[in-house]
Amino acid sequence: MKKFKTLKYALVAALIIGFTGCDSMLDGVEPSTSVSSEVVLTSEDGVNALRASMYSKIRENFSMTTEYFIGPSAFTDETRNRPGSTRFQALTQATGTSGGTAHLDNWGLYEIIQDANLIIGGVDASVFEDPATLDLYRGEALALRAFAMHNMVRVYGYEPGNFSQGPEANWDAGVIVRTEPVIDLADADLRPRSSVGDVYTQILNDLSTAKTLLSGVNSDNRFVTEAFVDGLTARVNLYAGNWGPAAAAAQDAIDNFPGSLVSTATGVAEMFDENAGGHPEALFKIVVNPDTENSTGGGGFGNNGPATYTADGFLAQLPTQFLLDQYEAGDHRLGWYQDCTTTQSNPLTQPTNCDAVNTNGLVSVKFAGEKGNSVDDMPMIRLSEMYLIRAEALAKDQNSPAAGVTDLEILRTARNVGAVPASALTDLDAFEDYILDERMRELGVEGHRFYDLKRLQRDIRNPDGSLKMRADSYRILADLGSGLLNVNDQLVENPGYE
Amino acid sequence: MFKKLLFTVFALLLSASAYAQSGTLTGQITDAETGEPLIGATVYIESVNRGTQSDVDGNYTINDIDSGTYTVSYRYVGYVTVNEVVEIGSGTVTRNIELSADVVGLDEFVVSGYAVQQKREVTGSISTVSSQDLENVSLQNTESLLQGRAAGVNITTTSGNPGGAFRVNIRGNGSINAATEPLYIVDGVQISFAQLSGQASTSPLNTLNPSDIESIEVLKDAASAAIYGAQAAAGVVIITTKDGTAGPTQITARAETGVRSLANNVDYISSDQYVEYMGEAFALNFGIDPTQSYISPFDGTTQLGAGDYTPFENDYRNFFLSFFGSPVEAGDQLANTNWQDFIFDEGVTQKYNVSASGGNSSTTFRISGGYESTEGTAFDSDFTRLNLRTNIDHELAQNWRTSVRLNISRAGQTGVCQDGNFINCPPSQAMFEAPMSFPYQFDGSYNPNTRFGLSNNPAVQANEVDRTNTVTQILSSVRLQYQANDWLSFNGSLNVDYRNTQDQQYRSAIAAPAQDGWVSFANRNVENYQGNLIANASKTFDGVHAVSGFAGVEYRSDYSESQLTRGDGLPGPFFTVLSATSTPVTAAGINSEWRQASYFGNVDYVFDEKYILKLVARYDGNSRFGQETRWGFFPSVSAGWRISEEDFLDVEAINELKLRIGYGTTGNSAIGNFAARGLYGANGSYLGSTGLRPTQLANANLGWEEAREINIGLDYELFDGRLYGAIDAYQKDTEQLLFGRPLPSDSGYDEITENIGAVRNTGIEFEVNSVNVVRSGFRWQSRFNVAFSDNEILELPDGNPIDEDDLFESLIEGQPIGQIQVVRWAGVNPADGRPMWYDADGNITYTPTNSVDAVNYKDGVANIVGGFGNTFSYKGLSLDAFFQFSFGQWAFPNTDYYFTRTPDFLMNLTTEVLDRWRTPGDVTYYPRAMEAGTDFAETANYRTQLSTASIYNASYIRLKNISLNYSLPDRFTQRVGLNNVTFFASATNLVTWTAWPFYDPEVAFSPNDIYNNLTAASYPTERQVNAGIEIQF
Repeated sequence: MKKFKTLKYALVAALIIGFTGCDSMLDGVEPSTSVSSEVVLTSEDGVNALRASMYSKIRENFSMTTEYFIGPSAFTDETRNRPGSTRFQALTQATGTSGGTAHLDNWGLYEIIQDANLIIGGVDASVFEDPATLDLYRGEALALRAFAMHNMVRVYGYEPGNFSQGPEANWDAGVIVRTEPVIDLADADLRPRSSVGDVYTQILNDLSTAKTLLSGVNSDNRFVTEAFVDGLTARVNLYAGNWGPAAAAAQDAIDNFPGSLVSTATGVAEMFDENAGGHPEALFKIVVNPDTENSTGGGGFGNNGPATYTADGFLAQLPTQFLLDQYEAGDHRLGWYQDCTTTQSNPLTQPTNCDAVNTNGLVSVKFAGEKGNSVDDMPMIRLSEMYLIRAEALAKDQNSPAAGVTDLEILRTARNVGAVPASALTDLDAFEDYILDERMRELGVEGHRFYDLKRLQRDIRNPDGSLKMRADSYRILADLGSGLLNVNDQLVENPGYE
Repeated sequence: MFKKLLFTVFALLLSASAYAQSGTLTGQITDAETGEPLIGATVYIESVNRGTQSDVDGNYTINDIDSGTYTVSYRYVGYVTVNEVVEIGSGTVTRNIELSADVVGLDEFVVSGYAVQQKREVTGSISTVSSQDLENVSLQNTESLLQGRAAGVNITTTSGNPGGAFRVNIRGNGSINAATEPLYIVDGVQISFAQLSGQASTSPLNTLNPSDIESIEVLKDAASAAIYGAQAAAGVVIITTKDGTAGPTQITARAETGVRSLANNVDYISSDQYVEYMGEAFALNFGIDPTQSYISPFDGTTQLGAGDYTPFENDYRNFFLSFFGSPVEAGDQLANTNWQDFIFDEGVTQKYNVSASGGNSSTTFRISGGYESTEGTAFDSDFTRLNLRTNIDHELAQNWRTSVRLNISRAGQTGVCQDGNFINCPPSQAMFEAPMSFPYQFDGSYNPNTRFGLSNNPAVQANEVDRTNTVTQILSSVRLQYQANDWLSFNGSLNVDYRNTQDQQYRSAIAAPAQDGWVSFANRNVENYQGNLIANASKTFDGVHAVSGFAGVEYRSDYSESQLTRGDGLPGPFFTVLSATSTPVTAAGINSEWRQASYFGNVDYVFDEKYILKLVARYDGNSRFGQETRWGFFPSVSAGWRISEEDFLDVEAINELKLRIGYGTTGNSAIGNFAARGLYGANGSYLGSTGLRPTQLANANLGWEEAREINIGLDYELFDGRLYGAIDAYQKDTEQLLFGRPLPSDSGYDEITENIGAVRNTGIEFEVNSVNVVRSGFRWQSRFNVAFSDNEILELPDGNPIDEDDLFESLIEGQPIGQIQVVRWAGVNPADGRPMWYDADGNITYTPTNSVDAVNYKDGVANIVGGFGNTFSYKGLSLDAFFQFSFGQWAFPNTDYYFTRTPDFLMNLTTEVLDRWRTPGDVTYYPRAMEAGTDFAETANYRTQLSTASIYNASYIRLKNISLNYSLPDRFTQRVGLNNVTFFASATNLVTWTAWPFYDPEVAFSPNDIYNNLTAASYPTERQVNAGIEIQF
């Protein structure tokens, strides 16, 4: 019976022990595919992973890839739908008063800003043995935050100086400025839109700090470089009408960038082919792995990458004859247009009706999926844009078309076309027209056309020249939409959409 | 001989000595009316927790009873319990007992969670289904046994796949974003629902063999369920398996076999009717006036009479020949395939069970083994289960008892894809393939021209795809009990629920040409452990104040994990293993865990067996919740008043009348295991580095959903037990519902889960049982239950509707979950056969707008559910028929509606099209024949414009089970040395009465479907007819 007496005491003892201290039994349960924020923000590996996420978000975010590159063309006159295709059809059909509310929509870029803010303000300097590493990351994060913010503010707000362009006088609402990390619920407060002026100030401040932190970092354009910061500074200043700083920053970019303009026929034609040229003019390019980052699981690509919209897959947005007509014979850049049946990588679906969009059935091969699985690397800013910015900014700064000719001709020479015609130099307006055409030739289907027309307060036209949206139409600005307004009562909708 | 051997083995196995210095109680138990011995009646001495059952001759013996005076209860289901006071000395006391039939009900014992209670002392709302109700019901799942048998428990088949899952809903939808399954407890083991097979609809209760089940108790109200605290808001289902009884070993063997077929077929039109329809559609679309003769536009000469569309039909016939091809070599005939018959074929079921039960005064046991193999109707779908159960109770020493419950099972399922408009799922293919399509070409090869190409030819899906899952499960509990003295005892138990699920899928190169065939394999494990320790006390003071109660602690850890792999590229049909594939594609895996620690207790006070007060409380801590709200307190109070014990209610017809009232709080902790944490998740990659980014903000205040419920009930037993049952009314408010509150997206987050919102469920439930006739061996018993319920959303975040204009999933305060919002159908215009609708103002419109013109139509809430049954027995013959019903639920048959009512995609067409409008003046519900839903100018698409005509009544009454048994008379069986031989035949889902015109009115998408108003190509419920034999010796 003794053993049962022992058992009896054991049973009662266990009962008493059970009654005390249950709480600790609940600790130590950890998820297998997530970690706590402390772990990430306080370790080198964690911050490295956060940085990888920040770059990955550019690839994953449709607004930073396909919409960034193709949307501004489909919305204007550079591309049109191949009959039967529907991708970006809403953008091509959207007009001043109808066509629904189709517009560019990149409010989602805040997820890049969130990652950047954590690196900028959520990591203690002591995490890295070498504090220079964190400085480098912060420089990248500041540059990408500025990049994201500029991309948004040019969709939702007018450029500085253009505030009375639309139906409402002095409409200067920009986007929300959020520069601190959201670490707990209290940080996720409701904020109003800052003015465009404040947004530009923030962007230029970020870029200025980034330039300091990234000084001399120019060897690897797969990450943010000083030349990219210069290039973005030039672009932002150009949009803001700060001609002098724009020209100076563009020159900094040209000086800091280790490469130079490509000038051979083959070199230009293959510039965007990762298997040949591999983006020799990219101040910063996002590199995509075709095996692991192609599908929706990897984000952004597969059926939704820029190649599937243009040269592969759906072949939805083809260059218009209007765009192709901008080129002179012998222009190396004509190598960027190829027969649509040769670029389609899926042999099962041969494209039809390409010649309904342009005479010879051509597609733009800037994004043609050469890496496989319809995947391309993405040159976010190219060197040639710097010459175009300099040309425009210098001419306007000095109020003389002649001041812009040198840079324009450096670019034109590299592309095997002749001198700027005299007709373009008669006055600033003619020169601006010519610059716009040259920008189409150089930067067509690469994410510029709509923003160029918008910042210069030009009407948006169809390829046949007919009016699509007047410069003073409310439709030049995108709407925020009820989804955003319902959540945040501090937000105001753009005019015309209320 | 065998019996002796078995007995010896067990005696050896459990060779604990008995300490016999006392008396023996023995006797015979017989039917008071007939004098026949009652087999298996229970004799129980409550104060020492000793008992036995009578043998085949009605004899019983309990040895080794300490001398003293005891109250002995003699119980037999369907008979009045007799309580005898017996004085035990050192010798043998003989008590022959006659039990009177008919009085059942309130004397039964009820398992109410951590304790057994006499039903007369129950103050909450508990429904019981006992093994007597379930005999000869041939069903695979425990859940299906409950269907229609417990008032207020609404059970819906989510899949007819044998072994498929059920939606079990106790007293309405109490949650929107957290799981709504009840807590299942089998012999004390709380069952985990984590990591179920990804390939077939399945339930973790498949591990149980229904023939091992002694009873199922459903704790419906908060007062009775509060003892399970944070897991009990959706109710608790307690399953108890059969125990052994002391006495000679009794062996029961049972074998049965049967066929399984589709419970209902849908009528589709033939190829010829299809051609006629299309020809007519073509002609009318072309502009032919159906009332005028005309000249054929094809040749410009042939004169045709009004309504003769032959040339148009010929045109379509030729088109179909080119589109679908022909099954004959000459190529000139259209196929006329009955795809329904091709896809749903009859299946065979067979089942074998053997059990042995017996024991002596210190040890009782029951061992059983079962094997079942049931083929479903859709292709190769099936369910097999092999299980072994061992239940042993043993007295270790005086005042020490132990018990072991062990169930080991291996269940296999061959599933088919289902539940959705998928082109490779057999249930949707039955609708997607037109009769002109055909599975095999004349040379026997697969037809490559079926609707979605060769790889989705249903014949390819049947033969070239294999998806199986194998579940190995161990359910076990070990319990130790110590009786410290006559009023205090201690209990400890360890419970294990271990489940390993292996999902395998193979697709040959024909079914998966892009990958050149593939094989996937998933391994899933659940390790769910619980342990508890309980102190019980029970004492009566002054003869009238009975106080009892217990206090306990419990700990549960539920760990689950999965590994998923897939390889593409098989060298041929020879191998179906990963090693034979050329390209590894998937290697994924996760694990997850939650833990719960609890204190709980209850106190019962009964005064003079008249007034009952019960207090229950549980204090639960759960790792899922934020630090601030990790612990929750769930109290309940209930009271009972046995009015029939009062002197003023001395009415002979009333045997028992008890008023019950209870109020309590329960919780729902079924949220994500890490929903309260601030998390960074693996997200994306750049240049080979995996990204980590914030995915969820910490929410230290995230807490339980809480249900507060009041229940008022009445238990009654009248006319010497001829009529008994219960009435219950409840109101259950579930508050602090979990909702995602949207955050400004510029914060980098979409939403945060918070406790906002409330839902109310109210209802009344009736249970009536009656013994209608007992006369010279003939007996007729009836049972009936019905529950009326209503559901209403009380509160939503900021009062804002969620998905306000959604047709089926809108959430709006004041409306039920599952509200259907559609525009009103106005019929077919008799003049031209165009479909018409009403706009918001009640005017006819051809182009309604949902967001403006929709009205609140019906909802997916089955407001009236229940069941009724009758049992007739005469001598050895008995007939039982059980009906189950559900009223009030309306639903949208998504696949049937979108794909089988118009020929837009050239799929199957239901016979509804035969009632079409043909000539001006026709008054009918189906419009003019159309080539597509968009045929009518300036008219909404008939196919996709949903309206009140798209919503069908899913009410039904079903003959759920009917069985006929015949037991051979003793004089034959005794002669061959058998105790009993029974032949039986049974049928499940034999007849259904419903207005639902499609496969199955049981509409529920998944076990956690809260809307229940939409179904899409679900695996239909099946009918089963079985026959078999049971032998006892």
